[in-house]
Amino acid sequence: MIRKEVMKIVLDHIDSQPIISANGFISRDLFELKEKNSNFYMIGSMGLASSIGLGVALKNPRKRIYVFDGDGNILMNLGSLVTIGYMRPKNIIHIIFDNQSHESTGGQPTASNKIEISKFGKICNFKTFVVSNTKSLKNCLRQIKKINQSIMIVIKISKSNIQSQRVSLEPEFIKNRFMDSLNEKK
Amino acid sequence: MKPFQTKIFDFFQKHDVENFIGVPDSTLKEFISYGLKKKKIIVTTREEEAIGIASGMCLSGSSSLVFMQNAGFANSLSTITSLVELYKIPIIFLIGWRGYLKDDAPEHSMIGKIQPDLLKIIELPTKTLSSNNWKKSCEWAIKKIQNNASCALIVKREFHD
Repeated sequence: MIRKEVMKIVLDHIDSQPIISANGFISRDLFELKEKNSNFYMIGSMGLASSIGLGVALKNPRKRIYVFDGDGNILMNLGSLVTIGYMRPKNIIHIIFDNQSHESTGGQPTASNKIEISKFGKICNFKTFVVSNTKSLKNCLRQIKKINQSIMIVIKISKSNIQSQRVSLEPEFIKNRFMDSLNEKK
Repeated sequence: MKPFQTKIFDFFQKHDVENFIGVPDSTLKEFISYGLKKKKIIVTTREEEAIGIASGMCLSGSSSLVFMQNAGFANSLSTITSLVELYKIPIIFLIGWRGYLKDDAPEHSMIGKIQPDLLKIIELPTKTLSSNNWKKSCEWAIKKIQNNASCALIVKREFHD
């Protein structure tokens, strides 16, 4: 499985819910697959998708907030898991596309082939899932609908050569329409 | 009389700042202890994380202040420039200025020296607080975030442990 393929499956289970997507190829894939007002595409500030997601989740308890993260990204900010575990929001769904590499910068390895990221999730009070095929991913996405706690899904994928286009929107535009989308149906 | 740091906290709460997030600093301990007593503080593991959470809250229409020592400010330069300034997310930074005194601990001397220049270089509008001018500067900060801009308020470390 490659990221774009599994992201599409995840997106089939998301309507208008907010998504905070990590910088690099993750935001680019999301931009191509499901462009919408409630996507907050990060351009810089690597590692912070889950922190931004926590802030949005705490202030919008009635919405389920998705974080699209990578293994390299979350390994840069493991402390974020500690703070999420401490605050225990029930409405954050942290999806980690784990290709064991920094694909956006040329495929250099991360440590996630030897260090299982989901274990951090477990000790930080997440309900955690590790999936490595489309069937178990779809199963998991159905299951989480009934779960009322912070959720982490680590999706094991392989590296890919497919490169999506850059996010061509202005950062301030991304922000403004994201904020407007949170205000709708609050 | 209340120390001015607790007055600052009250002032910001009165002006609808709802979130106080950051990493503790001894220069700001009166501010932080007061906020902790009121159960209004989120302590994070690193400063960048605090800025990320505050950004998420600002995106939800909830005003936020991030507190840190200037060592943490140095950690945060990329986050401030590539998140806060790039997306124009209005956050008030409250920064303790270690290394302000020439004989402060050695690890603070370089950052303490270049801090005013760093703030200028990243174009973060700044005011330094004192017990006399704090109110005016805090009013200035509120205006800044109302206009969608971030800014920094600095508290000098004028004592030794």
